[in-house]
Amino acid sequence: MATAYNTLAFKPEHCDGCNACMTACVEVNNAGSDLLNSRIQIVADQDNAGGGFELAMCRQCGDPKCVANCPAGALGKDAEDGVIEWDGSKCVNCLLCTVGCAFGGITYNASAGHVVKCDMCGGDPACARACAAAGKTALKFITTSRIYREVGDLEDLFVPGLSGCQGCNTELIMRHTLRRVGPETVLAAPPGCIPGMGAVGYNGLTGTKVPVFHPLLTNTASMLSGIKRHYKRQGREMTAMALAGDGGASDVGFQSLSGAAERGEEILFIVVDNEGYMNTGMQRSSCTPYGAWTSTTPVGERGQGKTQDAKNMPVLMMMHNCAYVATASTGFMEDLYDKLDKAIAASKHGFAYLHIYSPCTTGWRFPSQENIEVARKAVETNFVMLWEFTPATGLQLSRSLDEALPIAEYLQVLGKYRHLSDEQVQHIEASLDRNVAFITNLTASRSSRPAHAAAGM
Amino acid sequence: MSAVLKPKAHFIVCDGNEAAARAVTLAQVDMVAVYPITPQSSLVEYLAKFVAEGKLDAEIVDVEGEHSVLSVLHGACLAGARTYTATCGPGLAFMFEPYLRTPGMRMPLVMTIVTRDTLTPQSVWGGQQDAMSVREVGWLQIHCETVQEVLDTTIMAYKIAEHHDVMLPVNVCHDGNYLSFGATRVELPDQAEVAAFLGKRDVNWHAALDPDRPMAIDPLTGGSGGPGPALFVRYRKGQCAGMQNSLKIIEDVHAEWGRRFGRYHAPLVESYRMDDAEYAIVTIGSMTGAAKDAVDEARDRGERVGLVKVKTFRPFPVHATAQALANVKAVSVVDRSVSFGWNCGPLYQDVIAALQFAPLRPPAMSFIGGLAGADITTAHFGQVIERTAAMVKGVAPGGTVWINEND
Repeated sequence: MATAYNTLAFKPEHCDGCNACMTACVEVNNAGSDLLNSRIQIVADQDNAGGGFELAMCRQCGDPKCVANCPAGALGKDAEDGVIEWDGSKCVNCLLCTVGCAFGGITYNASAGHVVKCDMCGGDPACARACAAAGKTALKFITTSRIYREVGDLEDLFVPGLSGCQGCNTELIMRHTLRRVGPETVLAAPPGCIPGMGAVGYNGLTGTKVPVFHPLLTNTASMLSGIKRHYKRQGREMTAMALAGDGGASDVGFQSLSGAAERGEEILFIVVDNEGYMNTGMQRSSCTPYGAWTSTTPVGERGQGKTQDAKNMPVLMMMHNCAYVATASTGFMEDLYDKLDKAIAASKHGFAYLHIYSPCTTGWRFPSQENIEVARKAVETNFVMLWEFTPATGLQLSRSLDEALPIAEYLQVLGKYRHLSDEQVQHIEASLDRNVAFITNLTASRSSRPAHAAAGM
Repeated sequence: MSAVLKPKAHFIVCDGNEAAARAVTLAQVDMVAVYPITPQSSLVEYLAKFVAEGKLDAEIVDVEGEHSVLSVLHGACLAGARTYTATCGPGLAFMFEPYLRTPGMRMPLVMTIVTRDTLTPQSVWGGQQDAMSVREVGWLQIHCETVQEVLDTTIMAYKIAEHHDVMLPVNVCHDGNYLSFGATRVELPDQAEVAAFLGKRDVNWHAALDPDRPMAIDPLTGGSGGPGPALFVRYRKGQCAGMQNSLKIIEDVHAEWGRRFGRYHAPLVESYRMDDAEYAIVTIGSMTGAAKDAVDEARDRGERVGLVKVKTFRPFPVHATAQALANVKAVSVVDRSVSFGWNCGPLYQDVIAALQFAPLRPPAMSFIGGLAGADITTAHFGQVIERTAAMVKGVAPGGTVWINEND
């Protein structure tokens, strides 16, 4: 099994020292009201002249010095959840563990009469809940380890050595998704970056360990329809899956995609949206956003990037009443995996459409190491909204659209927006506001009905 | 002595579209993808009806356009299905992208082209311009003369396409309006006998999308340097070999059909009253009936004229054509379509090319008729025969004659 554990993550820049976390900690541990008894300590950042806070608490280290220092065998790391556990029946109160810890994570507590440390509340830390309940985002319980523990042992069904660009987000999406879907799959990779990096292979050699094919750019969903229907007719279980780019999905392949969705074909259709034809040299697609530089919407004296807004593919697919439609981002992998699992399940009885935003280091012009950060910024500014849809539930937000970062924080990190004028930024802001309002309204139209009923109106 | 019906013979009256649909039903296909287009629409309606009535146990996929029609069948075929569709004119044009790809993937699909003149001028009537426009793409193309031949050939097409020495898609063509809607008596073969004739389907032994035997289908091939170019040439040559192999398979399959079902159709070209013919006319498709009548009338007058009907148009039966026309002194070819670059009919082009392999090089003329649903009458063929006879007497062949120009 892959070893990865859930962890508490602290963002000092989001902390205002409200003490909600410490208050919650002493409460759940019956440690009275003295915050000094809290196993999480938020302390003033002595190194920062401008104030701010630091975190002192157990990091549940992978190579714990406290455990190594303990002569009594009272400390040990739990292989299952990664928590370093203290056994009071073995402890000899020598305090050598406290000497070993560089984080102030295990300390002598006078009122208890022995060392205390964080035990992660059995997998649901009260401190993180309290931080969120107080409307803050400084302390988060990160549970992505589930992904690594569950997925890490699954076979990567692409061959090693695919020739994606450095830092390619699409390769990440491909490898994560296909291994989850599994070997009983027929994979369509229409022309674009995905076969371009060798997923379908070259000159008789394959790039994938499952049956894989180049559909035409235009007919991915139709070919998959024929494949799936024939296997279903034979009573054979398999997943008909597409990893398609936004161009093939939104432009020339839209007709076949729309037709298959309307017919409710049992297909898992994943669009990897890098906002253009990046494989062929970064040309504009209908998913390219307003203002973006591409090689066919160049910047010059008379051109300042794309002059139209992007086609909203996931909303269009939702209007087909697909069994499942969702947007996802590699900046939010837990959410992505949650949706992938739902999409796989939905593809057993209907059309499942998963739209994953995929920042392109080459085409969008930003340093390759920034990819996940760009993906995250897109979501945090609401430029990309994470939501999911089923016919039964309607559209539901996966993440609040409130308190978004200013769009400038996203635009300024991308070279493709470097030329934007103030007017263009205003256009983007206005479009963004409309898009947020549009999606919010779609959410409200469902949830408001029971609310009215409850209020007796 | 009274006529004795064959024990399992079953006769119906139907048009060419229904005959094709019944053939597909008898061929027990697994999947049909449909999209309606005039004059093909009733064909797919028949298929939908047969599926709804339980006569045809097939998956029927109503898709949003012809491009997807063929694409759905590509997927199904790679998954192992015996497949069918029909189209014509603009529909064929719209499916051109997957159409181009079908023979290269060696997919033994069968598709009827209910032939229709192509746009523009806007026209919904018969003409073979659609089929002729795709003649160099790598599909086999077989043209029928009668409704019975439509039925028999559509079934035979599966045996030809799926033969391991061929593995290529087949277009069975029947003339829009004339065969699509012309009703005649047709003998339906017995289902069990058709099943025995066709045998077990085996369509994706060479290229499959099957999790049980994973492989990459159509990875990028070619590029300068490395193994690509040679590999590409091998694929292309293999396709050409399949095409040439099919000439013999088409003959074999027609012979077997005759033995099993008692109807012998000429597989490549049919020679009609050619034994002592001094000159000949060459036809294709349903016009042949009227042409044969005209030949009979001329024969009654003592003219030594014969007729050669081309049934298999792709691959073009070069040697069979040259052999059939080996002893004539003049040839006229009647096309129902146009080769724009040559200002003549496309069949005419192929016939004069094939005559390079004949001992004589007879003078030849191109006649184009029957465009956009026009009728080519016995009288029209009488004029063709007259003009051909003149060539025998030394009158130089003229330019292309447009038969219905002055109708």
